[in-house]
Amino acid sequence: MNEREEHTGTCNCDNNALSVGEIVSVVDSVVRQTGTEKDKVILILQEVQKRLNYIPSDALKHICRVTEITPGQISGVSTFYSQFRHIPSGRHTIKICAGTACHVKGSQLISEAFKRDLQITDERNASPDNLFSIEEVACLGCCTIAPVVQIDGKTYGHVRPTQVNEIVNDFLRTAAREPQHDDDKGGNDYDAEVRIGLGSCCVAGGSREILGRLLEIKEYYDLNIKVKPVGCVGVCNQTPLLEIVSPADENSRYTNVRKDQVEEILLKHIRPRSLNKRLRFRINNLADTFVSDDLVYSPVNIAADMRERTLNDFLSIQVHLATVNSGVMKPDSWEEYLLLDGFSALKTVLRSHDPASVVRIISDSGLRGRGGAGFPTGKKWGIVAAEEEKEKYVICNGDEGDPGAFMDRMLLESFPFRIIEGMLIAGYATGAEKGIFYIRAEYPLAVSRIRNALNICIEKGIVGQNILNTGFSFNIGIFEGAGAFVCGEETALIASLEGRRGTPNLRPPYPAAKGFRDKPTLVNNVETLALVPWIISNGADAFSSIGTEKSKGTKVFALAGKIARGGLIEVPMGTTIRDIVEKIGHGVAEGRSFKAVQIGGPSGGCIPESMADTPVDYEELARMGAMMGSGGMVVLDNTDCMVDMAKYFLDFTHKQSCGKCTFCRVGTKKMLDILARLTKGEADMSDIDELDKLCIDVKNGSLCGLGKTAPNPVITGLKYFREEYEAHARGLCPAKRCRDLIRYNITDKCTGCTKCFQECPVNAIAFRPYEKHEIDQELCTKCDNCRVVCPEDAIELVNLNDEDKDR
Amino acid sequence: MKIRIDNIEVEFFKDETILDCARRAGIEIPTLCHRDGVEHYASCMVCLVRVRGTNGLVPSCSALAQDGMDIDASGEEVVRMRHESVNLLLSEHRAECEAPCRIVCPAGYNIPLMNRLLGAQRFEEAVNLIRAETGGEELRCISCKAFCENACRRKKIDNPVSIRNMRIFLSLNLTDTADVTNSEPASAETVRGRFSSRTGRLDDSEQREWLKECPDNVTRHREITDFRSAAEEAVSCMHCDCRAAGDCRLRDLAGEFGLRDPGGKIANAPVTKKINRNAGLIFEHAKCIKCGLCVRICIDSQEEPAPTFINRGFVTIISEPLTGQFDDIIPSVARKCIEVCPTGALSHFEDNNTI
Repeated sequence: MNEREEHTGTCNCDNNALSVGEIVSVVDSVVRQTGTEKDKVILILQEVQKRLNYIPSDALKHICRVTEITPGQISGVSTFYSQFRHIPSGRHTIKICAGTACHVKGSQLISEAFKRDLQITDERNASPDNLFSIEEVACLGCCTIAPVVQIDGKTYGHVRPTQVNEIVNDFLRTAAREPQHDDDKGGNDYDAEVRIGLGSCCVAGGSREILGRLLEIKEYYDLNIKVKPVGCVGVCNQTPLLEIVSPADENSRYTNVRKDQVEEILLKHIRPRSLNKRLRFRINNLADTFVSDDLVYSPVNIAADMRERTLNDFLSIQVHLATVNSGVMKPDSWEEYLLLDGFSALKTVLRSHDPASVVRIISDSGLRGRGGAGFPTGKKWGIVAAEEEKEKYVICNGDEGDPGAFMDRMLLESFPFRIIEGMLIAGYATGAEKGIFYIRAEYPLAVSRIRNALNICIEKGIVGQNILNTGFSFNIGIFEGAGAFVCGEETALIASLEGRRGTPNLRPPYPAAKGFRDKPTLVNNVETLALVPWIISNGADAFSSIGTEKSKGTKVFALAGKIARGGLIEVPMGTTIRDIVEKIGHGVAEGRSFKAVQIGGPSGGCIPESMADTPVDYEELARMGAMMGSGGMVVLDNTDCMVDMAKYFLDFTHKQSCGKCTFCRVGTKKMLDILARLTKGEADMSDIDELDKLCIDVKNGSLCGLGKTAPNPVITGLKYFREEYEAHARGLCPAKRCRDLIRYNITDKCTGCTKCFQECPVNAIAFRPYEKHEIDQELCTKCDNCRVVCPEDAIELVNLNDEDKDR
Repeated sequence: MKIRIDNIEVEFFKDETILDCARRAGIEIPTLCHRDGVEHYASCMVCLVRVRGTNGLVPSCSALAQDGMDIDASGEEVVRMRHESVNLLLSEHRAECEAPCRIVCPAGYNIPLMNRLLGAQRFEEAVNLIRAETGGEELRCISCKAFCENACRRKKIDNPVSIRNMRIFLSLNLTDTADVTNSEPASAETVRGRFSSRTGRLDDSEQREWLKECPDNVTRHREITDFRSAAEEAVSCMHCDCRAAGDCRLRDLAGEFGLRDPGGKIANAPVTKKINRNAGLIFEHAKCIKCGLCVRICIDSQEEPAPTFINRGFVTIISEPLTGQFDDIIPSVARKCIEVCPTGALSHFEDNNTI
């Protein structure tokens, strides 16, 4: 190792700046906080990594010395979960979302662009200046602004491969700022309330800048308004979203608001208090009229009903139960939650129901688990309630790992009090006194919102001992998942809570009887708990009157992918897929044609357009070969390849497999290999036959839900799109998406504008102004930059193996 | 409480598994990752049975018996799935049961065993081996073209092991007074008739893994004139065969099921050998079926280091904690793990395939 490399930071070895003494003192300090029990291992590793950027081997050794954790346990656990790094990374981690929606919008190209432009290789995952490392993450849960990139918690949406330097420079320039707060002086005599959505994706869309501008204008004109950040409205395709509510309860909504429009919007509705401020506005306004034409196009001048139409369309067939009051409440406001009937369900339950009758109400409502399996919730509660054991637990499963799903994230961020209320009611009904929020570490805002809400609840006495003087006690803790999709399975989740590797166990015994610490444990999904207060307040009948015969109530979906208007939606069960895609989502974007919908993430399956009249219902979807899943709904168009999609999902499940059982561990790898070869044109018909067989075997022979449902994307793909698979066996990709099977071709429409030459990162296009350009196929990496920038639409995709047919 | 397995009614007690019941009823269900006295794990899925009614397949080693259950433990579908699980395990088993020299030998002689005995200076045993293999007939090496030396992997390093000359030398030491043991003479048919796993394609660095067992400086002999030269030549053998070839549950099941070694094996890691001379232990990653028996057998003992699982999914493997190697394991722990390992992943230098 020459001197230049030695310890100047270009070397990534364990000799990085940290001394053993530093490591030991950090570990000691962490362990003092967490305790020394074996089951604290994940928490300890998380804390150590937060402080040291990674987990040095000296840290692992010292942890074993000062706690009950054994070397075997710490090795096994620290290498199982994706969150933990054993080698240092760059100072800032660039997380590139590889979720389903981002994948169909080209996340692979984004990843390649970042690696290329920042000179990050796979061997040494850090840029030469050690500033950045890249992590491809399963899903950041911001699907409607796909493709998404997150750097140290700052999210960028709608990313294009050509924007790498722009994004990196923006990040380095804008230090992480504290969220701006309106100094809420309380009181109700405001002229108006101005609401701005600030969910994670809204922020990525620039809503924080809008908030900043709102506060600026408020101060400049001394406006008597309350500026309120609200949780997710679900209308992700129209953010930043501003809503102005005046005491007369007139609501005016503005979509896709730009920073330069804020002043105008505000002042249309609100008069400055003092005369000189009013004059200020008139003068400025006047000046603007002379200077720009923009006034004509300003959102303020668009008739209200026209503005509302897009929003209304989006919200039209939705029914908000889990998401009731979306866009109205400030997520972390105790007062508002109470004002809007918060905790009234809990009070009803504690004061006028015994636990058995609460279980009965939930059973009668027909509520089924919203995490994907759809097990009757009342029945599960009944099983736990019937156990005679005194020590019981309620766990809220917020390990939403489906790439392409972000419903639980939104519910946790926007309605933290509601979920807490649901958990308290569940605890009362089942006889539990302890609850745990299990939230994946990739959702930092959800974790902090729940944490803040919990602190407030404890302060107010609604969580803790002797709640509301009824004798009911319930305490709640938070656990952050360490990065393993398989931990969404309840036995694996419990294993991780106990400080073990997240490998599932055969059921029975069911966690409801023998779960966490071998005690009866109720594991419920976030959305399931979110519906509980509504059901208690409105009655079982009200809930069961919505939906279909076997699937009652509503379901929250994350509508994303190639849809014109994506977002978070809640619809009654029984709504057809076509209605969701067309009425809410406004059809497929950019004039392409609707091909299929991927429901249920990697455990689900695709429903082709021809079957789009299938209603959203547990049994109906299962009959089609798909699965309700947790609610991810990714729309695919004619430029999406079903074989590529299947390969994408198998890649995910294969990487997330815990590795315990033969069929899943080896079977998913074999299936992935065949799919990969299909996308490269290296497979034949006998491979498809083998794929058929593997699907059935893996489905039947796997130990847990991950393995049992991993083949579903392939099974439905083969069922509804078999001819597409067979085309690949002949070396053709009908959707022209599999890069090894297509080439880029410049047609006669080319005007020689040279834009493609400018954008090509590998110089595969020679500079020929005013002449038809040509792509050197030897150099072309099919990054798609040229096709996207061509103003004449002169670049087409052609199948390599069948030139004439595909023109 | 009762369950039915293959139409036989069995009474059971709380917390008993379907496998427990099957055994009591005298019904054979094959297992690989299960061992009495060790907590069940449900990894290999060779013990699958079908629950009539739900029609689901469950691993009988871990599935709790439930009153009124009706189990199919021998139907066509069940048998097919058991075969498939072994097949899948074989498809990541980049390892070979028999050395190339033995496979090509027209007589099926156990050449690596001879080399090990000679290398350990156990000369009398080496001579007895030749005696047993010839069964009183003439040693076939005398008139053989030495296909073994042609197939010998050592050839790619320097020169093939002088197998033919070693065997001829040993045969010259057979005395008449020694009794002919009741063994059948070796035969190629027996060797080639048994199921054998093959390694498939190895790259150069993987081929050199086998050199790890050889000392760094070996004296090579083409002519073998005495036991000393035989022993010196013998240590250049790379032990391509599997130490557990006669004692491997995976091989047994593959044979029982009549399977063929699958082609196109997938690699979950490079083929490697990890050797701990102090403990006499050899660990071969490619032979591990991730059954976790070595981990589970050490769970309650306080002796460190004990093997643990590391990584996740297809690339899961076992190793000592923190180091990823097997350098510090103590002989008693090593012995325990080797004994419990159902394949040749964990084996001892002195283990031998005597078949």
